[in-house]
Amino acid sequence: MVRRIYSAGLLILALAGWEAACSLWGVSALVLPAPSAVLRALWSGLASGYLLPHIWITAAEMLLGLTIGCAVGFVCGIVLGENATLRQVLYPYIIASQVVPKLALVPLFIVWFGFGMTSTVAITALICFFPLLENTITGIHHIDPEKRELFRMLGATPLQTLLRLKIPAGLPVILAGLRVAVVLALVGAVVAEFIAGRAGLGAMIIASQGMMDSPQMFALLVVITAIGMVFYQATLFIERRVLRRHQKGNDP
Amino acid sequence: MSFVDILGATYAYRNGVDSEIIVDRIDWSVGEGEFHCLVGRSGCGKTTFLKVAAGLLKPTEGAVFIQGAPVLRPSAKVGFVFQSPTLLEWENVLDNVLLPISLKRKVQAKDRQGAAELLALVGLSAYAERYPSELSGGQQSRVAIARALIVEPLVLLLDEPFAGLDAITREELQNDLLRLCRLRRTTVLFVTHDIAEAIYLADRVAVMDRGRFRHALTVDLPRPRERNVRYSPRFNQLCLEARQAMDAP
Repeated sequence: MVRRIYSAGLLILALAGWEAACSLWGVSALVLPAPSAVLRALWSGLASGYLLPHIWITAAEMLLGLTIGCAVGFVCGIVLGENATLRQVLYPYIIASQVVPKLALVPLFIVWFGFGMTSTVAITALICFFPLLENTITGIHHIDPEKRELFRMLGATPLQTLLRLKIPAGLPVILAGLRVAVVLALVGAVVAEFIAGRAGLGAMIIASQGMMDSPQMFALLVVITAIGMVFYQATLFIERRVLRRHQKGNDP
Repeated sequence: MSFVDILGATYAYRNGVDSEIIVDRIDWSVGEGEFHCLVGRSGCGKTTFLKVAAGLLKPTEGAVFIQGAPVLRPSAKVGFVFQSPTLLEWENVLDNVLLPISLKRKVQAKDRQGAAELLALVGLSAYAERYPSELSGGQQSRVAIARALIVEPLVLLLDEPFAGLDAITREELQNDLLRLCRLRRTTVLFVTHDIAEAIYLADRVAVMDRGRFRHALTVDLPRPRERNVRYSPRFNQLCLEARQAMDAP
């Protein structure tokens, strides 16, 4: 609790220092707007309802991309985790697809899917795919050998072993992958909007830059950060709920 | 033929071209309802031997028979208790005990009743709805034993199940195990590195060293065993005999 107070105090201190520095040295609002100016821009954006549709669009793109990417990543992780041959055959291609800077694919995606939501969702999904794939494979592989033998002793089928042992036992690792994916999804959605978006917070940042409206750019950054924090905390909450039965040492 | 027959069981671990013999031509028989212990240092091959007996490992040579039928793969006739309790942390105690049944078919009311009775026998009735992380080490081991017994196996194999527990808890669990096995007339093969544990539990003890059974002794202590037996001269004599067999070159 005390640490939280310190943490909040640090924010207030930093903002006060920033504000003082801006008015003392008369820094141009174009370069570094004072916190009060950012707050005004943020408030007017929210109060007028001007920002809201963009927030919804970015959040929707992120959530959609996250869901699709994680679902596909999870399923592929299970398939590759269970089938060693397939894993050895496909893994080099998956690695190749992941070392390609995915944002460099946005122009191509625009050609395929056009400007707007589809391209952004596709990029976000592609970004979220890998952490889930990787962690699912790792998660269902690192199972206590004695537990595997127990299932063998009890005559469990491969499907039963997967559903009753491997997935539940791998959940801590799989959910850690989800947490990474959530953070990457927001970055992916916003940056994809820089290029492919007609609406959304990323597109707004580009628009504000065009109008040299620095306070608004800062206000947008505040909103994006807030969205990221909300999603991250929500994931953490879900993770704790799901894993509350797992061994105490595994608590996130 | 006895209830359990192990004939010339050999297990070699193949490592490239070399092969290392872990279990070396072992013959052993366990009569119905008997409690046999296998004692040896770590690394002597006793766990491997037990896994061969369970059908988890295929013997390189020789065979294992239960009631005259060869053991080719793990089956419900054989229950196995591992070194660690190997409970599923995400399922409660009752569901853990019912695991062997739920993997075979739908759990019915009478199965739940059977599990509840077993939990009562190991003194864990109050813990049926708890999760493994809320249990002590001794309680977890009890759940593991109840889980092995739920399908009423003909033979129960145990691989140092009490190795991680403190001495007092271990004695309690030894008594519980003896009581349960008497009640159900289960045939038991119990592996341990603790000579006193082997003598206390068993009707017959085999001493294993470097893959072979070096010595066998019959424990003629009265049943049911209770604590005072541990301090009797005969008990110590038997322990010494086993120890000397273990140290023999």
